[in-house]
Amino acid sequence: MTARTPVLGASDKLTFLLSLIPYLMDHDNVTVTEAAGHFGVPPERVRDAVRLIAVSGIPGETHQYLDGDLFDIHWDEFEDNDRIALTHLVAIDDSPRFSAREAAALIAGLQYLSSLPENADRDAVASLMAKLTRGASATPTQLAVSSPDSDAAMTVIQASGRDGVQVEFDYLNARGENEHRFVDPLRLESVDSDWYLRGWCHLRQAPRTFRLDRMSDLRATTEPVGSHDAGLVLSDTLFQASDEDLSVVIELPSSALALLADYAPDRATTPVGGDRVRTTLRVAHYHGLKRLVGGLAGLVTVVEPAEARQVVAEWAAAGAARYDEPTGRA
Amino acid sequence: MPSTPEQTPRITVEERLFSLVLALIATEIGLTKSDILSTVQGYRQRYLSGGDNANLERQFERDKDDIRELGIPLETVEPQDDPGNNHLLRYRIPKGLYNLPADVSFSPDELMLLKLAATVWREGSLSAESRRALTKLNSLGVDSSDPVLGYAPHLRARDASFAPLSKALDHGQVVAFLYLKPGESSPRRRRVAPRAIVLHGGRWHLYGTDQEARAPRTFLLSRIVGPVVTVPGETFIPDGEGSGRQALDELDALWEANVAELVVEPGSDAAVRLSKRHTGGTGPGTMAAPDAVTPDAGTLHAVTLHYTDIDILADELAGYGPEVLVRSPLALRQAVRTRLVGVRDAHTGTTRGSAA
Repeated sequence: MTARTPVLGASDKLTFLLSLIPYLMDHDNVTVTEAAGHFGVPPERVRDAVRLIAVSGIPGETHQYLDGDLFDIHWDEFEDNDRIALTHLVAIDDSPRFSAREAAALIAGLQYLSSLPENADRDAVASLMAKLTRGASATPTQLAVSSPDSDAAMTVIQASGRDGVQVEFDYLNARGENEHRFVDPLRLESVDSDWYLRGWCHLRQAPRTFRLDRMSDLRATTEPVGSHDAGLVLSDTLFQASDEDLSVVIELPSSALALLADYAPDRATTPVGGDRVRTTLRVAHYHGLKRLVGGLAGLVTVVEPAEARQVVAEWAAAGAARYDEPTGRA
Repeated sequence: MPSTPEQTPRITVEERLFSLVLALIATEIGLTKSDILSTVQGYRQRYLSGGDNANLERQFERDKDDIRELGIPLETVEPQDDPGNNHLLRYRIPKGLYNLPADVSFSPDELMLLKLAATVWREGSLSAESRRALTKLNSLGVDSSDPVLGYAPHLRARDASFAPLSKALDHGQVVAFLYLKPGESSPRRRRVAPRAIVLHGGRWHLYGTDQEARAPRTFLLSRIVGPVVTVPGETFIPDGEGSGRQALDELDALWEANVAELVVEPGSDAAVRLSKRHTGGTGPGTMAAPDAVTPDAGTLHAVTLHYTDIDILADELAGYGPEVLVRSPLALRQAVRTRLVGVRDAHTGTTRGSAA
């Protein structure tokens, strides 16, 4: 038999059909373009949905899907003027409720956003969550996000962005180099609990990404931001692989591969006995590698190159040696 | 493909599902399965009167599940005079439970915030759920305020276990998976009744009842190393609201109770990052003071950290190598030292062919 078809596409389309109808009821004779803009979809998707709605309905008394049992639209307006006017309704006249997981996704998203400085109004957020819960057809899935405390750095950056001034800070990069930076803030981004500032770096004369937790002595300046940022396009990805990246062969249990999802675009592995496999990582420099391997102690072993093994060994040895020191310092 | 009784244009999945929803909303008393298969668009074209409709029945079972997954309350009504007779079961969608309650409405500002909340999920199953939630929000016809420019907050729920666990959570199904406990080198199979999935300290946790220990346990999703499977026949009644909050509260309490004393090299990665570590999981509305960083004996800095799991913290601290020295607790000191010695020994000398 045929395997189960993935229904993600059909589920999305059904949700759109059920949501478009109540919108059209409230927006008589709306243009296709306006409806598409409101839902954030291509106009053709609206036209497809309207064509389907207009011939759909219920079997009715006769089980024959007769005219009175179907939706209808003003066909001339639709075909000649690209406008939608429902002229007959069937069964549906209101918006559908959220599913338990849909409501949960929005509620957890709100919990996460409540750490932003401008969402300090916790009561407003709480009332919004309560409405989502009431609007769901079942108790929202138990999904919760602990909201980190607002970061003072975020408040400074956000205010500087609003006032159009540069920020300055000391920045310790991943190689361990500390430099003083002046930056035009463009965007605050985050991945889980790590926050990043994307901005124009005056030291490098280029767009750069900075981790908030690697900044020290962050301040707003009185220097206005440059005018270059109007045409500046930030790439969608925070991190980019580079041709200059180094290849490192590592060995680990195959079950631990998932822990390295961020580092192993190369999925190829070679079994080496037991459940252990070898794979190749791409790293920008060994400074990052030694920290990565140290943080996955007992799981990951660097096989080659020898230089990488040595960097890791020295890092760990220096760390271990600190515990052999006389207790005076510890 | 099964032969069709008549030549018909192909009916798309969404047309069949849409027609089924319309038919079940329009009926007060409900439709039996044979009513549906023989009359509803998308089924009737493939229905064999008096023949074998097993494939079509299976199709209907799957469609029912898919419709329910979208939050549409598709009900089963047992015949009053003949309960248990499956042929007389009726299906319907009560309009009162389908319609969004009239008092649930959103202002333009609220909608703007909800749209930003939906964009938080850029990967994984929750991005599809958020997208559908937004479509439903848009059906209300409210235009949102201008979006907050300059923010791109993202939560990743990329752990492969996320989707099957949240589904099992909704359906009250016991699951089993291989779990690689931090600090151990081989995984063990666990059987768990899931109660909540929470993000705490930047990590996704499953909170649930361990079926062997018969006690609540917390698991890190990133440490679930095999597929999550449902255990046939083992179900439970899902908790109501509050398990998520409860799980976070327990993690907060644990975090509060566990204190590590470290010294860090001034100016190092460890000094910059650990000393400004968010004080973490304290509940909404609580602003905790930054962790203490005090000058200590000239060149070293003392740092106090709270933590939830000693092995996870030991993994992280070992990554800082010589930049960090743990003073207390002793168990953490030993855990970090053991890791560093292990890494040192594994990388000293020539490469060996395979693990011992």
